[in-house]
Amino acid sequence: MSTPASLVQHDRAAAALARVRETAEGVFEALREVRDAAVACVLPAGGTRRPVVADLAALRPLLWARLRGGALPAHLPALIAGIGFIAAPGLLADAPWYLEWWQENPSGDPVQLLRNMDPASSAFYDYTHWDWYAGPFSGAERTICGPYVDYLCTDEYSLTLSVPVPAGGSFAGVAAADVFVRRFEAAVLPALREIPGPAFLVNAEGRVVASNTASWVAGSVYRGGPRDGDHAVRRVGDLPLSLVTTTAGRAG
Amino acid sequence: MNMARLAVFSPVDSTGRVDAVVRRLADAIAVGLLADGEQLPSEAELAGRLGVSTVTLREALMALRQQGMVETRRGRGGGSFVRLPAQLDPLARLRAFAADELRDFGDHYAAIAGTAARLAAERSLPSDVAPLWRTLDEMDAVAAAPETAGSGEACARLRRLDGRFHIEVAAASQSARLTQEEIRLQADIGPLLWLPHEGLSGHDETAAQHRAIAGAVERGDGEQARAVAERHVLDATRHLIELRLRLRE
Repeated sequence: MSTPASLVQHDRAAAALARVRETAEGVFEALREVRDAAVACVLPAGGTRRPVVADLAALRPLLWARLRGGALPAHLPALIAGIGFIAAPGLLADAPWYLEWWQENPSGDPVQLLRNMDPASSAFYDYTHWDWYAGPFSGAERTICGPYVDYLCTDEYSLTLSVPVPAGGSFAGVAAADVFVRRFEAAVLPALREIPGPAFLVNAEGRVVASNTASWVAGSVYRGGPRDGDHAVRRVGDLPLSLVTTTAGRAG
Repeated sequence: MNMARLAVFSPVDSTGRVDAVVRRLADAIAVGLLADGEQLPSEAELAGRLGVSTVTLREALMALRQQGMVETRRGRGGGSFVRLPAQLDPLARLRAFAADELRDFGDHYAAIAGTAARLAAERSLPSDVAPLWRTLDEMDAVAAAPETAGSGEACARLRRLDGRFHIEVAAASQSARLTQEEIRLQADIGPLLWLPHEGLSGHDETAAQHRAIAGAVERGDGEQARAVAERHVLDATRHLIELRLRLRE
């Protein structure tokens, strides 16, 4: 039976879902552009020769523009802190491991990250194990990795969103973007705050991404389960995110 | 005007910034986040990224060159390159610490590693635990490989993987600050903590403790994870202090 309070909650949850979806889709839209541009880069001369590192330089104007928030709807804050193309190992003729990766720089032009990535010289560089690579590699159309502590690039608590880059019938790598959790939270919190009672957003594994309550702060784990009868879980479109709200007697 | 208050609001002096830049890069090099031989971005780019002036950056690079952690080549294909200071005599470094300083390092490290492990156990998901087991399996494989066992190369690789394991545990805590502190402590004392086990003699014991930490994190047993992680650091510190006390001046 619907009470007015639960109707209010339902409407506001729907608005929050729309806000979260719009925020994430804005980033995925930028990634689809990067993917399309990367496909052209990794099939040089109509795919008649193997691509090299220099072929990826053509991506730069697009990456720089998206770092500044380019394609995102104007009412959304600029979210993307780092963006680029990560080559599948062995794709490029002149570098077995390579990222064409650019990061924002508060004091000037975007900067490129770590150009030479060779797992033989460091224990950290085999990127194929990270979810942002493994997800698209195993066929996921849209991957949201994290929140996690990004100790390789930024030292920030981050999300990495990624999509596969298929080229010439095979997997060429991934297009990915880093979004700091604090910025994602700032983008969706106004909508979460409108929901009466505790409400929080979790990733596919149950890690809290953003929340309107200190009881479920970003980074904590929602394990759900049958005993959580007073929680309603709504999927955010077909994204790997869900909104959890409290259904019983805590409105207001 | 009170002089102490004036000092508070005066610009952070450039030595402080140089030290901060030296420390940041030296930590990353010591732990292996920047790899041996890797080219650093141009001075202008690096200065921009770190938010310091080019002059400050140059001073920092000079200090790192003096410490043998960065090499600068001129001309075509030139630039600044990371150098792993493998040739530094660890016993000479150890001699620079008194036993009570080592004990203090151990106390600090145990606090960080213990809390990180407890939070990791409380908050970790399967995707946080998988990298831990992968790293430990890689370590076992390096230690067991008959062709390289005991070689300097195998030890260096084990040390890097050991560092990666502890950073992965810290990252599983979901705390960026604890992870940064773990990296800093490893840079400060990691190569020394490894010393008593040089030659792989202690690998089994260390590996058993690593597996106990990963197991407790996987089970979600926060208190056990904290206890084992603290024990791991304190045992290594005790070995190190024994070693230090036997060193003649």
